Amino acid sequence: MQLNMIVAGVGGQGSVLASHIIAEAAIAHGLAVRVGETFGAAMRGGAVASHVRMGDVASPLVKKGGADAILALEPLEGLRVGVDYLSPEGIVILNTCPNYPVDTSIGVFPYPPLERIQADLRSLGKTVYAFDATELAIQAGNARTLNAVILGALAGTGLLPFSAQILEEALAARVPASSLESNRAAFRLGLQRLEELKKGA
Amino acid sequence: MNVISLNQPGRRALLMGNEAIARGALEGGLELAAAYPGTPSSEVVEALYEARRDRDFYVEWSINEKVAFEVAYGASLVGARCLCAMKNAGFNWVMDTFMTISYTGCKAGMLIVVADDPDAHYSSNEQDTRVAAEYNRLFCFEPSNQEEARQMAAASFQISEHLELPVFLRSVTRISHASGDVTLGILPEVQNRHQLGFNKHWKLPYRWNVYGPPGAVAKHDWLLSRGALMDEIAATSSFNRLTPSPSRIAVIASGLGASYADEALTNLGLLGVVQYLRLGIAYPLPNAALRQIFATTDVVVVIEEGDPMVERQVLRLAQAEDFRGKILGKDSGLLKPTGEINTDLAEEALAKATGNLTARGNLTGLPAGGLSSVTARGNLTGLPAGGLSSVTARGSNLTARGSVSLDATMSRGELRAEIKPRITPRSSTLCAGCPHLGSYWGLKKVLNRQSEDAIVNGDIGCYEQAGYGLFTKKDLASPEDSKRYPILSPYTILDTLYVMGSGIAMAQGQAQIGYPGKCLAVAGDSTFFHATMPALANAVANQADIAFLILDNSWTAMTGHQPSPTSCRNALGNPATRLSIEKVVEALGVHDLHIVAPYDVKAVEGAVDKALAFHGPSVVLARGECMLQVIRRTKRRWQTTVVTEGCTGCKTCLQLGCPAITFADEKAGIDRLLCVDCGLCSQVCPFHAILGGK
Repeated sequence: MQLNMIVAGVGGQGSVLASHIIAEAAIAHGLAVRVGETFGAAMRGGAVASHVRMGDVASPLVKKGGADAILALEPLEGLRVGVDYLSPEGIVILNTCPNYPVDTSIGVFPYPPLERIQADLRSLGKTVYAFDATELAIQAGNARTLNAVILGALAGTGLLPFSAQILEEALAARVPASSLESNRAAFRLGLQRLEELKKGA
Repeated sequence: MNVISLNQPGRRALLMGNEAIARGALEGGLELAAAYPGTPSSEVVEALYEARRDRDFYVEWSINEKVAFEVAYGASLVGARCLCAMKNAGFNWVMDTFMTISYTGCKAGMLIVVADDPDAHYSSNEQDTRVAAEYNRLFCFEPSNQEEARQMAAASFQISEHLELPVFLRSVTRISHASGDVTLGILPEVQNRHQLGFNKHWKLPYRWNVYGPPGAVAKHDWLLSRGALMDEIAATSSFNRLTPSPSRIAVIASGLGASYADEALTNLGLLGVVQYLRLGIAYPLPNAALRQIFATTDVVVVIEEGDPMVERQVLRLAQAEDFRGKILGKDSGLLKPTGEINTDLAEEALAKATGNLTARGNLTGLPAGGLSSVTARGNLTGLPAGGLSSVTARGSNLTARGSVSLDATMSRGELRAEIKPRITPRSSTLCAGCPHLGSYWGLKKVLNRQSEDAIVNGDIGCYEQAGYGLFTKKDLASPEDSKRYPILSPYTILDTLYVMGSGIAMAQGQAQIGYPGKCLAVAGDSTFFHATMPALANAVANQADIAFLILDNSWTAMTGHQPSPTSCRNALGNPATRLSIEKVVEALGVHDLHIVAPYDVKAVEGAVDKALAFHGPSVVLARGECMLQVIRRTKRRWQTTVVTEGCTGCKTCLQLGCPAITFADEKAGIDRLLCVDCGLCSQVCPFHAILGGK
C-alpha cells in the first residue's frame, strides 16, 4: 500500500505543520512515512509544497503524476503543484480563498481566475473539492486554523487508511492549548463540508 | 625603471616566476590587482607595486585572500582586467567565493594565480589547487618555466573574456621562487583601459546574482556549457604540444613536471623516441591528443608536480575509450605521491616504465607482430564483436522503449504545457512589517533621486531578496554597459549577490578601479560578524569610497531565528552579551557612521544621502528588530491600519514591497491577517490616505 499526498500553500499558512500531523497520524496507525518538504524559498510568503507519503515508501518525494491527493491551502499553489504531480486518479482539496502573490499585488502578473484554476485541476485529476476553507477557519474562531480545516476535509474524503479520529488526535497533540478548541472546531467544519460536497457530487 | 615596467619588447631578462607572472599580466592589460601575501606567491604583487611607480593601475594588499579575491572580482564586473594572487593555504579562504562566482562568470578578464608548495617548504600542507580548478570547471594554466608563466599570464585575460570565466594559473614554489630567462613582450599603453560600466543583466538576466532568475541551477548549466569553448582552446593551444612517434610508449607531463620530463627523456635518450604530450593546460586536457595516444600506445606515463590530477583525468578518458594499456603515475605507484618530484625521480620512473618494453624491443617501433597484431589488438580493445550495429540496436531499443511511455503521457504533457503559463509566479518577499522594507525604501529613494549609476552589492540573509527581482520582465538581458534599469520595488535594488561577506569587498573593487557611480554594499548583523569585518577593515585600510548599509535586525532570521551577537539572548532564551556593531565599526576606523531606525524612512534617506556624500568608507547602521520576533514576544494586537477614501490608486505604497498591501478595484488595501501596524505604508503614501499603525 502506498498513499501519496502533497500539501501546497504559502509560507506561514501552516502547510508544513499539516503535513507533519498527517504523518504522525500515519505513524500512530503503524505505517511507515516520509515527509519531504520542498520550499520555494525558506521564507514566509513563498510557495511551499510538502510531500507526505505513507505505506511502502522509501524516498522523500512523490513521483510526477503520482499524487493521490493535493491539499491546497491556497488555489494558485494547488495548481502549481497539481500541474506536475496530480495523478489522473487523484483528488484535490482546494481552498478557494486566494493569497495574492506580490507579483499580482504590484500589477505585474494577473492572478488566474478561480474558475480557471478549478477547471485546470479537474482536467488533471479525478475530483476537486473546492470550498472557502479560510471562511470556515474564521467561523471556527481563528483564521490560523486553516490547516485544521483542510485536515478535517482530508479525513472526510475517505482516502486515509485510518479514522478521522486518529487524525484529529494527531492535530490536537500538535497545536497549543490556547487554540485547541478552535482547531478541533475547524477540523470538524472541514470534515463536515467535505461530506456535504461528496453527497452533492 | 624597474624591468617589470620596461617597454622593450624582445629584451631578455632574468625574472623570478612571480615577477614573470606580474609582467605577463601587465602585458595582458592588467588594471587591478589585489592579494594577501603568502609565500611562495607574494612577489607577484610586490613586483606589481614596483611597476606601479611607472604605470597607472590599481594594486592593493588586502586584509585577507577572500577580500582580495572579491575586490578583484568586483573590478571585473565593471570592466577592469584583474588579478588576484595567493598561496595554496590562502586559497582555502577563497573557496566559498571561488565556487560560486563561476556560476555567473566574469566580464573583464580575471586571472587567479595560486602558488602551490609541494614539499611544504613554506606551508603547512602540500595541497594541489589544480584540483579546485577542475572541481570548479575553470580553465587551468600550469607553466613549466618562467617564460611560459609570462606568456600564460599575458594570454589569460583574452581567454577569460572569451570564456566569460576566470582563468586559473597554478604555479609552484620552484616556478614562483625560481628565476629564468624571460623575453619581454609588448606593454600596452597605460591609457588602454576598458570603458568602465555596469549592466546587471549583462547578456543574461540577473547576471551577477547567483540566485537571481532563472536560478542557481540554470547558472550551473551555463558554467558547464562553457566546457566546449575550453576544450577548443585545449585542443589548439600552443601551450600543449604532442610529439608523435612510432613508439608504443607515451609520456604525458604537465607544468613543472614537463620541465623534469624534458630532461629525464633527454638523459635516457628517449626524447623524440617515445610519444610525448607536453601540457601547459592542466584542465581541460586535449582529448583528441589523448585519443591518438590511446590508439597507438600500450603504456602511458604521467609526470606531474602535486597530486595525480592529470593522471586521473587521463584514466577517466582511458576508461571511456576502452584503452587496455597501462597508465603509470602516482596512483599506480610509479612515482611517490608526496613531496616534490625532480629530474632524477622522473628519470627513474621513466626508466622503470620503459625498461621491460625496451627489453622486448618494443620501444622504438612497431610491435613484434607488426601491423596485423595492432589490428588484432585494435579489435580487442575496440567495439564489441557485433561492431557498430549491435550498439545501434541497443540504442534503438532504448529509443523504442522511451517513445512507448512518451506516447502514453503525450496528452498529459500537452495539458501541462497548456496550463503552466497561467500559473502566476509567487516571488518570495520580505515579511509584512519587516524593518528591511523601511531601509530599502529609504535607499531606493536616494538611488532613484541622485545616483542612477550606483551599484548595490548584496549579501546573504533575508535582505538578499532585494536582488531576486519579481520576474518583472523576461527580456532583461542586454550586452550594453551602463544600461539603466529603474528600481521598481525593493526586490530589484541589489545588483550583485554571491556569498557571505562578498558584497562589501566587491564594492571596493568597483570603487577603487574608478567606476563612475556610487558603490554600495548591504549586510545584516549576523553576516556582519560572520564575514564582513575583514572587508570593512580593508575598506578603511585602503580608503575605499564605499557606503556600507548594515541592516541589524538582531537575529539570524532567515535560517530560523538563531541568536546573533546582537540578540541579547542565547538559544536557550537566557540573557547574553550584546556585541556593539557601532563600536566595532568605529574601532575599525570608520569615521562616517549613521545610526538610524528603519521604521523612519526619512531618517534612512537622510543617512544614506550623507553616507554617499562622504568620500571614503561610510556606514549606515539601520537597527530595527525582526518583526516576527517582536510579534512573538509582544503577542500581536488586532491591526488598525486602514486605507481611507483619500486613496487615489497611485500604487506608491505597493512599491514598498510589503506583502500586506494589496491592490484591487483601483484602490490599495491592507491584508488584515498579515498587517502588523508597522506604520511604513502610511509614511510612504503621498496622499496621507493610509492611517493607523504606529
